[in-house]
Amino acid sequence: MARTVWRRPSTTLFVLAASTIAWAAPLSLAADSASLHERVDSLIGAAHAGPVAERTGDAEFARRVYLDLTGRIPPVAELRTFLAETAADKRASLVDRLLASHEYARHMQITFDCMWMERRGDKHVPAAEWQDYLRKSFALNKPLNQLIREILSADGTVPALRPAAKFYLDREAEPIQLTRDISRLFFGMDLQCTQCHDHPLLDDYKQNDFYGLFAFLNRSVLFTPKGQPAVLGEKAEGDANYKSVFDPETNHAAGPHLPRAAAIEEPRYADGQAYIVPPADGIRPVPKHSRREQLAALATDGANSAFNRNLANRLWAMLMGRGIVHPVGLHHAGNPPSHPALLDMLAAELVAMKFNTKAFLRELALSETYQRSSQAPESAEGAELPPDTFAVAAIKPLTAEQLTASMLEATGSSAARRAALESQLTADPRLHQILQADGKRAALHDSMLEQAAFDLVAANLGAFVALFAKAQPQSEGFEVTVHQALFLANAEPLRSWLRPGGGNLVERLISITDAELLAEELYLSILSRLPNGEEAAEAIELISSGSDDRPAAVAQLAWALLASAEFRLNH
Amino acid sequence: MKCTYACGSREHLLARRTFLGHVAAGMGAAAGFGSFARRAVAAQLQQAQKRIIVIYLAGGVSQLESWDPKPGTDTGGPFRAIPTSVPGVNISELLPHTAGQMHRLALVRGINTNENDHGKGSYIMHTGRREDPAITYPHLGSLAAKYLAPEDGALPGYIHITPGGSGLGQQDAAFLGPKYGSVVLGNGQPPQNSVRPEQLSDTDDKLRNELRRRLNDRFVRRRRTAETEAYSYSYEQAAQLMQRRDVFDVTKEPPAELERYGAHDFGRHCLLARRLLEQGVTFVKVSHSNYDTHNENFNFHLEQLGEFDRTFATLIDDLHQRGMLDSTLVVVMSEFGRTPQINHLYGRDHWGTAWSVAMAGCGLHVGSVVGKTNDNGTAVVDREVNGGHLFHTYLRALGLDPAMELSVGGRPIPMADPEAAAIEELLA
Amino acid sequence: MTAPAEQTTDGAQAPVSAPSIDPAATHLVAELKHTSPLVSCRCDPTGTFVFAGAQDNTVRRWRFADGEQTALAGHNSWVRGLALHPAGQTLFTGGYDGRVIWWEAAAESPVPVRVIEAHAGWVRGIAVSPDGQTLATGGNDHRVRLWSATDGAPLSEFSGHASHVYAVAFHPTGAHLVSVDLKGVVKHWDLSTGAEARQLDASVLYKYDEGFRADIGGAESIAFSPDGGWLACGGTTNVTNAFAGVGNPVVALFDWQTGERRQVHGAKEAYNGVVRGLVFHAQGFLIGASGGGAGGYLLFWKPEEPTEFFQLKLANTARDVDLHPDGVRLAVPQFDGVLRVYSMTPV
Repeated sequence: MARTVWRRPSTTLFVLAASTIAWAAPLSLAADSASLHERVDSLIGAAHAGPVAERTGDAEFARRVYLDLTGRIPPVAELRTFLAETAADKRASLVDRLLASHEYARHMQITFDCMWMERRGDKHVPAAEWQDYLRKSFALNKPLNQLIREILSADGTVPALRPAAKFYLDREAEPIQLTRDISRLFFGMDLQCTQCHDHPLLDDYKQNDFYGLFAFLNRSVLFTPKGQPAVLGEKAEGDANYKSVFDPETNHAAGPHLPRAAAIEEPRYADGQAYIVPPADGIRPVPKHSRREQLAALATDGANSAFNRNLANRLWAMLMGRGIVHPVGLHHAGNPPSHPALLDMLAAELVAMKFNTKAFLRELALSETYQRSSQAPESAEGAELPPDTFAVAAIKPLTAEQLTASMLEATGSSAARRAALESQLTADPRLHQILQADGKRAALHDSMLEQAAFDLVAANLGAFVALFAKAQPQSEGFEVTVHQALFLANAEPLRSWLRPGGGNLVERLISITDAELLAEELYLSILSRLPNGEEAAEAIELISSGSDDRPAAVAQLAWALLASAEFRLNH
Repeated sequence: MKCTYACGSREHLLARRTFLGHVAAGMGAAAGFGSFARRAVAAQLQQAQKRIIVIYLAGGVSQLESWDPKPGTDTGGPFRAIPTSVPGVNISELLPHTAGQMHRLALVRGINTNENDHGKGSYIMHTGRREDPAITYPHLGSLAAKYLAPEDGALPGYIHITPGGSGLGQQDAAFLGPKYGSVVLGNGQPPQNSVRPEQLSDTDDKLRNELRRRLNDRFVRRRRTAETEAYSYSYEQAAQLMQRRDVFDVTKEPPAELERYGAHDFGRHCLLARRLLEQGVTFVKVSHSNYDTHNENFNFHLEQLGEFDRTFATLIDDLHQRGMLDSTLVVVMSEFGRTPQINHLYGRDHWGTAWSVAMAGCGLHVGSVVGKTNDNGTAVVDREVNGGHLFHTYLRALGLDPAMELSVGGRPIPMADPEAAAIEELLA
Repeated sequence: MTAPAEQTTDGAQAPVSAPSIDPAATHLVAELKHTSPLVSCRCDPTGTFVFAGAQDNTVRRWRFADGEQTALAGHNSWVRGLALHPAGQTLFTGGYDGRVIWWEAAAESPVPVRVIEAHAGWVRGIAVSPDGQTLATGGNDHRVRLWSATDGAPLSEFSGHASHVYAVAFHPTGAHLVSVDLKGVVKHWDLSTGAEARQLDASVLYKYDEGFRADIGGAESIAFSPDGGWLACGGTTNVTNAFAGVGNPVVALFDWQTGERRQVHGAKEAYNGVVRGLVFHAQGFLIGASGGGAGGYLLFWKPEEPTEFFQLKLANTARDVDLHPDGVRLAVPQFDGVLRVYSMTPV
């Protein structure tokens, strides 16, 4: 077959084309009746004229969407059920079930904790409290802008919202660090180069933008009363003065403003009138007008396009493996979105649906773009389809947490833990009755099962995070070391999970006499798919080889699957 | 907070494409280096395989209590200077054994890296460049692992022996790819998890790895391979490590050697380093902790250099006796030096303005001193150099070309900072 | 505790009754200035002079009466060990150059009278026996040595310490010697037999910092009570960061007769510091000078109370303290090169 090289349409052309499609009625669907996911596919399709990957099979889809929405591979029982379903909308139903699960809230908690706190050690707010707060917020599907507003306005004095203050408190309210982090995490602009001068290479990152944001933050101070937990106070004065290192003679002053937005209006007070609680020795100052609160409100009120686009982009990247702007912290004129109209639309929709995270993720997960295979189409053999076409699904290495949870799920340890709890709940007639009685209590029951499984993950997380978590959480790229391989090859945790016992996978497999069924259960449990002919034959041969150590053969097979690149990656 | 990025530097400009997000950083770029580089290097290296040992005195050793003492001055502190085996060259009385080896050492006393931050200082000393948000430069060890170590070597090219720690490795290979990252030996122990469990037979281990490989081969068809390749390779590396595990076991050295190097961690670690170098490991870094003496600088340097001195002198002598010194570059360095001013806690603070590094081996012009500080060590007065100059010097001593271009995301980046040059006085 | 013994030497004061003092009224009365940070001090028994070691390798002598300053040059490193013959005529200095030097304390411009190489490495502690006959030194070579105070002849050597010897002190009866090392091991040497009689435990003064892999501690200061009933060793404890000096001032107080540690003195407020000087007052309390990250303090303790009954913040970090024979004034050498004299006279 002749090699075909597909070229992306030129920039000008596709912007025009995309914008034409976005604002005119698409050929087959009226603009106002097309769902968001259909419009996503339209825009993606309009920008890429070449071959695209096939749709994922059900097994591939299930594995990917479980990992992306619940942070682990599908439990084998659930996978079998899904594969056996015949309803046309089974994928949509699956997505809905996953979004409603306790595992979803946990996964979002982990993801956003890592994104916003970057695996810092605890200082003033214990991780457990912050994580609980995040998890509850996601379980309730609190609008994402509201969650971020709570975080950006927190001062740690309101008990229910104290955990939200971790973002500021554990950064010691240091305004330079906060400006860098907030600009990157919440506005998608890594402004750290502009601390000292306008960005030398990027026209739209200005030193004034850095200090405009800084001006919202530099009046907040860490207040540490003796024997009391740290909180934030805020002064009513303190300006953002700066000089460029390229022009040290000129002084500048920045009034508070969001990146690339105009200066804001602030109330003016007469001398001595600016405080609710004036500063004094040992007294936490509280101003009448809080710039920090104003930052929180202005960023999250739906009117700031940088904020909206950043969030839309990051949620897109979570599922698609790559931002429309890539890297995600670097929106600027020299790094345009691969699909500008798409990003605009997603940002607008996010606002229109009131930052409803579940609804937004649902739409993305239902798109054809998301459901594409990670295998390049045969027609593109030899040519690489650029990742920013989204023509082929990206490969995402499992995070340390996903890897731990998935290995425990794959080896049946999690299921065994859930089953043990289940029988405990059933065995106790009083508990059983309570849990059966009330519709709401069923949710409690599910929550308890999720917690039991997560407790098992948490108990094993330390070693995995130490080895598999990135040195710099915000960096791109897959980090592999020989220490990881040694751990997976020889360390006790995996070995214990592969020893038969407690109803785990290996124990169940050993009792399956039919080698073909054994191979099926093995592959479904670990790789979340059926073995192909070659694989089944290989497995059957190994198990039936007459060796009297069946458990060992099963364990070796299981290990090979666990240690494979296929398991290690979300594909 | 100071901004010390190398904005406007050639590399920064060249790396703009990466910075601007057009090219995937990390794994994708790692595949970018071409075979042209290896051929060029192979042609250069006609001699015996070169090795490096870096002794990293973590925290910032005081040059005033080691290589560049100023006794009797307002900054000199209570320790005095002693003569060495090189007439006219005096070093601190804390290094009597090392003084006897001075004819095998070279001192660089005029270093000004202008950096007082641990992380940034360490970066400069390990990569020869300042930190740059657009590009992460590889560590000297990774360059050695890639360009000096034999391609099919069974041992890792880059090993880091740390004073404590669990030995879990760091991401210091940068765009060279994780294959050239450090293997960490926490507290000088063989790599964690490098013993095959008793219950797992050799046959079973081979079997399961064969199954794993076949799975990976299938998976890779029609998918991007960079991640799979790196991941698969890590298991091959692991297997090699396990097979050669004895090499990492310093207790296999004769007791007399253990005694000679010193019955403490640093002694054992240096002995292990010599053992590894002898077995063919290309780059070994031994970290000695700790020298960040803001409090009680003199008591603590007495203690730490007391350990360092005899061990280091033994190491140099040992390398010499074994005929390894000519092909082994030895570097003793920190992230910076310490302030001439003594603070109210009898301490010295961070100081990158006028400090020293010691080197040996690899045909360097030894028994010499390059660079000079003023009478009380507050400024460099002659032959000022920075981390870039040192890096050039290391590469040249090893027979590598500092101007050789490495391919990062399709762009050429010279191995060493083109703004600097080697310290020719050291390269005989 | 008994009142101070009567002075009988030349130039001494007339016998005095216990002076009227109020520690809580301690206040600055003089500043004696040098250009280099100070590291130690001793008042001479006649009350005429105070001597202080400095970071320029000299020893400074100031006359109390008129503040006249003289430089004693002879060491080529810092002098942390200072001792005066009970008659007040001879000053013995022990330096980080390993030397001990004899000086004529009251000469117009004292010069070294005798120099001996006493230890390999630093001399950290030096003491004179109550009868003025014997000099004891301790150093980095782990040794404790006795010398003739008259002619410098080596008399004996005690070994057994496994780390740097930080301090030595004679029991007021003169029959016993105590030495304390980095790890807080206190050795009691019986001078009549020349053997180690006991070992006391001042390990509260010692810490191995795992993070920096280094030892910190030692008795930075030592004192016997005038009647010999108590032995106090001062240093730092609760160290959480040896290289930043995060640790609290502490004194371990021992009952000499039983050898039991009867008290651990500290400061009410947990600030960073090291008790670098200690002196007992005949009126029944202990005075410590603390220097460190929090600056300089004088702390006053009663033996039965763990925390101070009075604390005075000083202008600068303290490096030592000594009591003037008048029982009223305290000399505190400080990092800014100033030896500050404080008086405990009631206001």
